[in-house]
Amino acid sequence: MDFYYSLAQIIGFHTLLGLSAYIVLQTGQVSLAQAGFFAIGAYVAGMLTVLAGWHLVPAMLVAGLGAALMACLVGFPALRVRGLMLVIATLAFGEAVRLFFFNFDYQIAKGEVKIGPLGGEGFRQIRWFPENGWTSLEVMLFVWTVVALVAGALWWNDRSRFGAVLRAVGEDEVAAQSVGINLTAVKVTAMTIGGFIAGLGGAIYAHYTTHIEHLNFNVLLATFAIAYPILGGLRSVFGTIVAAIFVQGFLVEGLRFLGDWRNLLFGALIVLAMNLRPHGLIDAATARRLARLFSREQWRGEQRRA
Amino acid sequence: MRKTALLLGSAFVALAGLAVTGPAGAQERSVVIKGFGAKSGVVRSFGVNSEAAMRAAAELINSQGGVKLGDGATGKIEVEFLDDRCTAEEGISVVRRIASGPTLVAIGPTCSNVAEPLFGVLQKKAGDASDSGLQFPIFTDVAIKGGLAKISEWAFRNVPSEAEMYTSLFSWVKQTKPDLKTIFAGVEENFAHSRATWYAVMKEAAPKAGLEVKGEAKWLLEDTNFAQQVREIKAAAPDILAIAAHPFTTCGVLKEMRRQGVKVKMLIGLTSSSSLETLQGCAREAEGIVIPTSFAPVNQAAEAAAAQAAKFNGSLDLHSAATYENMFILKKLMEEQGVLAKPDTVQADREKIRKGLAALKETGGLLGTSKRTDDREAVKPYLYVHAKDGKWVVLHNPVTN
Repeated sequence: MDFYYSLAQIIGFHTLLGLSAYIVLQTGQVSLAQAGFFAIGAYVAGMLTVLAGWHLVPAMLVAGLGAALMACLVGFPALRVRGLMLVIATLAFGEAVRLFFFNFDYQIAKGEVKIGPLGGEGFRQIRWFPENGWTSLEVMLFVWTVVALVAGALWWNDRSRFGAVLRAVGEDEVAAQSVGINLTAVKVTAMTIGGFIAGLGGAIYAHYTTHIEHLNFNVLLATFAIAYPILGGLRSVFGTIVAAIFVQGFLVEGLRFLGDWRNLLFGALIVLAMNLRPHGLIDAATARRLARLFSREQWRGEQRRA
Repeated sequence: MRKTALLLGSAFVALAGLAVTGPAGAQERSVVIKGFGAKSGVVRSFGVNSEAAMRAAAELINSQGGVKLGDGATGKIEVEFLDDRCTAEEGISVVRRIASGPTLVAIGPTCSNVAEPLFGVLQKKAGDASDSGLQFPIFTDVAIKGGLAKISEWAFRNVPSEAEMYTSLFSWVKQTKPDLKTIFAGVEENFAHSRATWYAVMKEAAPKAGLEVKGEAKWLLEDTNFAQQVREIKAAAPDILAIAAHPFTTCGVLKEMRRQGVKVKMLIGLTSSSSLETLQGCAREAEGIVIPTSFAPVNQAAEAAAAQAAKFNGSLDLHSAATYENMFILKKLMEEQGVLAKPDTVQADREKIRKGLAALKETGGLLGTSKRTDDREAVKPYLYVHAKDGKWVVLHNPVTN
């Protein structure tokens, strides 16, 4: 079972990465900066648990806030541009963060050894989970609690007034502006929330792998971040979760037995999935059916109780 | 009808699977050893060669009677090689998958950036109940970045000590070619092994041998244009150029040097570049490059091993030769430790293997005996090879000279 718990952890932090892009995509913006926020979360949380000896939970919160702050700062200038220009601007930011950590040395002596980030050689021994005796099952439950909280908050947001504002900006900026919506404020807020979620994901990632280095946060990760919500569908947070399970659980791990063929099938199956489900794995119709199903079950339960 | 055919087909496949994988005779059991490493991307050849070496060794061991198990039964080695795509996430996942089955020990990974996080996931001190890290022995063959095995007591390596090899090489250079006084490096900055080999090994060893370090030009593993870096080499005009890079960018730089007409008196390469890929990629430009390596087919055993690996479409180099050696080391160790290879003794067998590996003081290898250090690393015999007429030829053998 240990392997499946571990796989669930991977799907968990990839889901967080996808959800961080989901909220930004709702405003119609394509951000490739999520890998950068993920990296900031990973390094900040790792430094707090390893160098400062913090508990993981406050370290994660600070990591999330740090990434959110950076997202907010980046959001103001970056979101003044749109479309492909924004893609390039956020990609440049992600690469700048990666190169910052490539050159970032901050080591302190702990006993006979030095610990902390060491530029291109990375940051090793982020072993908070095993050092505190957490089993794989406990780590998985923790990761999915965070995912559930984040997904729940976004699900609630989708039904809130602010969610409607985000979608209005995403659907038609001119129309949204004409009814008095401050576009910059909305976009920067979405970017900041996305940064916070990516920071949380990065913090978990660092403690899962125990070693991080700049190469972990490259453009491929940024592409995955936006691929999850696009593949899963932007109508529901569940789409991003389903897409992360599809990619990490099925394409990466499930097809491992195919050996060399796995890499060939990887791209082909994503293309196939997008052709078969052009509006995402959980499109608007599926989301409505699911909502009806749940509400009917809820109604039946209430009837039975009555 | 279609449904029935599908059901019948599935049943047939399932029965065939059972027939193939069913338990062997009562006195013959499977000893599962799995390999993992990069079989995709730019370092794919390392994984391909490791897998070939592993299968070659397993076939030889099995044909010679297999492994004698603790209760007198015979164990036949069963191998499988999994691709981790040289990424930490997949490396950890692959090993957790391997550890959740009957595998007794794993050999891998290819990349140091996978080994480093992977060893961190293992229990740091064996038997420490407060540490919930994975308790599974890993015997690394390829990932060569210095000092990694000390991360966990479940991690062991049979990779050469680059510090010793380059220290020895530089003093030999100084003795045999006293006119060479300066050294400049080309470094593949974003690859853990290349970077560590220059900054932590060569750059430290060269001044101790009396060579003046004139700096370094930097590039990335994915780079394909080296014009600027070669101009830097030209400006530094060193006597020796040390290229701390893998075959792909090593060849790129050497070709650019030829294009710009840049020549140095001596070329020194990274251990991992003493492979067939370098010669396939740029034999002409690499002519004369000197590399210390822990493998060359210089004796009967090494020649036989290389021929055996070739049967499995692989080539034996310093990395895959270690894979081959690991299989024989593990076979001997499992016999000495009385491994049972039964479904209910998997974890006990893993602990026996860990203890056995930790107790090793020396091991047999294709070039001779290797010493084992207290921090679970190897000190392997080595020699210097140079590229000559499209082949790796032994230039100097410190063991016999």
